[in-house]
Amino acid sequence: MAVKPECIAMLLAGGQGSRLGILTKNIAKPAVPYGGKYRIIDFPLSNCVNSGIYTVGVLTQYQPLELNDYIGNGQPWDLDRANGGVHILSPYQQIKGTEWYKGTANAIYQNINFIERYDPEYVLILSGDHIYKMDYSKMLDYHKEKNADCTIAMLEVPWEEASRFGLMIVNDDGSISEFEEKPKNPRSNKASMGVYIFNWKKLRKYLIEDEAKEGSGNDFGHDVIPAMHSAGERMFAYQFDGYWKDVGTISSLWDANLDLLNPKVDLDLTDDSWRIYSRSPAAPPHYIGETAKVENSMITEGCEINGDIDFSVLFANVTVEEGAEVRYSIVMPGTVIKKGAVVQYSIVAENAVIEEGAVVGEKPENMADVKEWGVSVIGNGVKIGKGAKVAPNVMIDSDVGGAE
Amino acid sequence: MSAKNVLGIIFSNAYDEALPELTALRTMGSVPFAGRYRLIDFPLSNMVNSGITQVGVITKSNYRSLMDHIGTGKPWDLSRKREGMTILPPFNTSKAGINTGRADALYGSISYISNSNKEYVLFTDCNVVCSMNYDKFIKAHIAKDADITIAYANGIPSKIENGTELFMDADGRVTGTGLVDCYSSSVNYSLKSMIIRRTLLERLLHEAHSAKIDDFETIVSKNIKHLRIYGYEHTGFVRVLDSLQSYYDVSLELLKLENRKQIFTADSPVYTKVRDEVPAIYGIGSSVKNSLIADGCRIDGEVENSILFRGVTVAKGAKIKNSIVMQGTYIGENSTLDCVIIDKAAVLKPNKMLCGDSNYPVYIGKGIVI
Repeated sequence: MAVKPECIAMLLAGGQGSRLGILTKNIAKPAVPYGGKYRIIDFPLSNCVNSGIYTVGVLTQYQPLELNDYIGNGQPWDLDRANGGVHILSPYQQIKGTEWYKGTANAIYQNINFIERYDPEYVLILSGDHIYKMDYSKMLDYHKEKNADCTIAMLEVPWEEASRFGLMIVNDDGSISEFEEKPKNPRSNKASMGVYIFNWKKLRKYLIEDEAKEGSGNDFGHDVIPAMHSAGERMFAYQFDGYWKDVGTISSLWDANLDLLNPKVDLDLTDDSWRIYSRSPAAPPHYIGETAKVENSMITEGCEINGDIDFSVLFANVTVEEGAEVRYSIVMPGTVIKKGAVVQYSIVAENAVIEEGAVVGEKPENMADVKEWGVSVIGNGVKIGKGAKVAPNVMIDSDVGGAE
Repeated sequence: MSAKNVLGIIFSNAYDEALPELTALRTMGSVPFAGRYRLIDFPLSNMVNSGITQVGVITKSNYRSLMDHIGTGKPWDLSRKREGMTILPPFNTSKAGINTGRADALYGSISYISNSNKEYVLFTDCNVVCSMNYDKFIKAHIAKDADITIAYANGIPSKIENGTELFMDADGRVTGTGLVDCYSSSVNYSLKSMIIRRTLLERLLHEAHSAKIDDFETIVSKNIKHLRIYGYEHTGFVRVLDSLQSYYDVSLELLKLENRKQIFTADSPVYTKVRDEVPAIYGIGSSVKNSLIADGCRIDGEVENSILFRGVTVAKGAKIKNSIVMQGTYIGENSTLDCVIIDKAAVLKPNKMLCGDSNYPVYIGKGIVI
């Protein structure tokens, strides 16, 4: 082997993301489209490359077809390499039988052989569920500086949301004194981002021990990290301050997309020094027609726009006909919104058809009871008939007939 | 597929002199076009979409930007161990690297052509914008048992120098060629794409070299009687770029859906180098009408009847009309552009005004700051 990598990344991309409902019916959560031309996994992958980490194992399990296809040989991220590069790691058959990845730690355990081939000093564990731009090399420097065995990236979340996260109580020197998993009355607002750096030799030992342990959930957060902590290993928290969002629910996915249109949000995708790479379709520039009105939106190549677009994110090859309106919505590739249709406060998945005069979603201010309001979701390839109405806060997975 | 048996050759420098402004720093092949492409993307994609797997790109001068753009041929799936794309730099023959005509240029690459085991050679220029199915072209060539087949279009030709008109009999066999001298009525004009058997091409090139003939048109006209030369009509949108004016006009013709549909079809996409730009961002109060906008643009002003390439910034209050703005250019606050072609990475500072006429667009060079 040529130059031995100091640190390799293992990206946990097997999650179903069940709270995303029909959006993850046929694809794993990391493959969910985001931001006009990206998928969630583009963020950790691009972060790796931009941080100088060129060996990445991607662990897939749930509905891997689209994700495997998307990552391919890793060329869009410059990860098609002779030495290292991106590797898809699926569960496999062994002499003792076939096992799915039982938990996050077990997934890494089952791929010890992969990591050993590179024999790295450090292993970076990532998940494919978050939107953020982060320089892992700075975290690695911190890890080395602290002479840590394990470093966990954390960010300060608003106190009122803290009870939804795994929290850490951190000493003045950055070492972690206690962990709290989703406590009712949080004593800290420092939440784990699910980004870990381990000394590989240490992690290896704990993974093997954890695997042998009866009744272990084989999970990093619940099993391996607490075990290391109680054994007195050097555990440190690395503070990240920047934009970070778990897009695990429909409303957070919707929010995270619209955050791109908010200049006050600290997520700049136009930054040349930290580009987010993706696999692009071959589409011409988008066309904005004579009758169109576009404001405060993000529009991708291949779109044909003749209607009104406000506060929305449109993916590639979306058609919006004359008189149609799209507001506060996310419209994924290939969808057609016909004449006079209205799509508002919604997420429309790929290749859907919204027929003439149909209305999808509702404004929160028009609700009798605002608590019942929510983002509407139209599934892949679904057709909403002429003049049909789709209520707020629903998921539509099969065709809806016309109103007449 | 018959295209498997064809070697594609693209002349990247042909007719550079027709677009002196845009080709001062680059080849015709690397002239930016249609918001995110270079002209060479069209013939390259046509070849790949037709099933051609081996392509040689002939260069003459100023080809750094072309090499930067096509690289190893990856975006066209032409980065291969076997076959794929090869850049053919000028070969040091008697004229020291500056080939003058297409026959001379081909002769310079004759060893590349001979080493190919393909039965046919298809060659084409970069200044012809069209989506053409070469597979049909090749099949027509084979069906007629022709020695040479020349693609042509019927219509009013562009005013390029040495425009060639084809005269054909009822069967489509070329009976004569002539210089186009009439630009007001429809004629059958050559698109300068040809298919020829490789061994015949080699023989003709050797003959031409010893007779000091540089140009392939001369070879064709000298051989009309001896060889079976046929025409193949390309129908659909096709434009020859022969001047800054035609570059401007043809670009803006793409604002019409019916024209766009004929060039960017779902089953034959046009590939280009990917730049990983974000989608275009429209600010509050922006207004865009009848325009093509590429990824990476940031628009806070007004844009009408225009084409914006990747990464163009239009600041608040700026107005762009009837213009073509190339990659990475910045248009400052309250500045106005009308009938302007502005090359890459230029900067128009706030409160400036530039106006041309639709019959005489103003050209602003690459990287110029105003």
